[in-house]
Amino acid sequence: MNEDNDQFEKQLKRQSLQQIPSAWREEILSAASQAQPVRRSVSDHAFLSVLNQRLSSLLWPHPVAWGGLAVVWIFIFCLNFSSRDQAPVLADKASPASPEVVAELHQQQRLYVELMDLKDSGDADRQKVFVPRPRSERVETLTA
Amino acid sequence: MRRRTEIERLYDEHAPSLFAFLLNFTRDENDTRDLLQEIFIKIARGPDLLRNVREERAFLIRLAHNAAVDLIRRRNTRDRTKENFVAERVSVFASTSDPDEELFRKELSVALGDLPEEQRSVVHLKLWEGLTFDEIAGALEISPNTAASRYRYGLDKLRERLRPLYKEITNVE
Repeated sequence: MNEDNDQFEKQLKRQSLQQIPSAWREEILSAASQAQPVRRSVSDHAFLSVLNQRLSSLLWPHPVAWGGLAVVWIFIFCLNFSSRDQAPVLADKASPASPEVVAELHQQQRLYVELMDLKDSGDADRQKVFVPRPRSERVETLTA
Repeated sequence: MRRRTEIERLYDEHAPSLFAFLLNFTRDENDTRDLLQEIFIKIARGPDLLRNVREERAFLIRLAHNAAVDLIRRRNTRDRTKENFVAERVSVFASTSDPDEELFRKELSVALGDLPEEQRSVVHLKLWEGLTFDEIAGALEISPNTAASRYRYGLDKLRERLRPLYKEITNVE
């Protein structure tokens, strides 16, 4: 009986199942890729690999010539940066401010202080509004 | 040559099995395609779903099973007569040129369709996926003993139903 059962199981296992229609692959995978969240790192990686591929194909015929050109450009950049570094030195060497300019600045400063004083006295005239504060703070005010 | 993406790899490795499992469960090609698409969309939306999964196949079968159970529930409330109609129409087995085998496959497909869903799933996974009862239990979230008993009941029903035809084919007395 057991042998018969085993034979029956084997007979069932032998039956081949229907195959998945091949057209479904593209359809399902395209729906899945549309639902996929955009991953920036992956797209950046893809972009870099494409750039690398393009550059490789462009530079491949004459790598020495392109390398020489790159060295020239690096030299130009270095020269440019070294000349730019001298600009602050020139500024340091500029003549100090004249006494008239200093006097004018002092005048403006005095005017500003006067205006601030006026603003403070105006605030003092206003009626003070009682703002409840914690008890501990009130004690501090009294003792101060 | 373009490299295969992760989702493409998953499809190529598991979609044929999931297709057969879902077709046996739903008995409808359109529903099977919808469910398969639903599963792969779910994976595409949450690629971390499979990160700590040890058995991809078992995990995907669980997803497929849950999706199919949901569909059957929806279908039962929508149209109770549809399942019986499509069970007669769709065969889960490939066609063959041998007329005896073809008849056996046709009868087997109908007999499988008449099994309760829980027995049908276990029988399918055991016979055509070659999973152990422990693996089936993990995939269907049942105990191994339950998986074994469902298999035994299912197989007994199939044997009873197909006995005359089986004897005729194999000439077993």
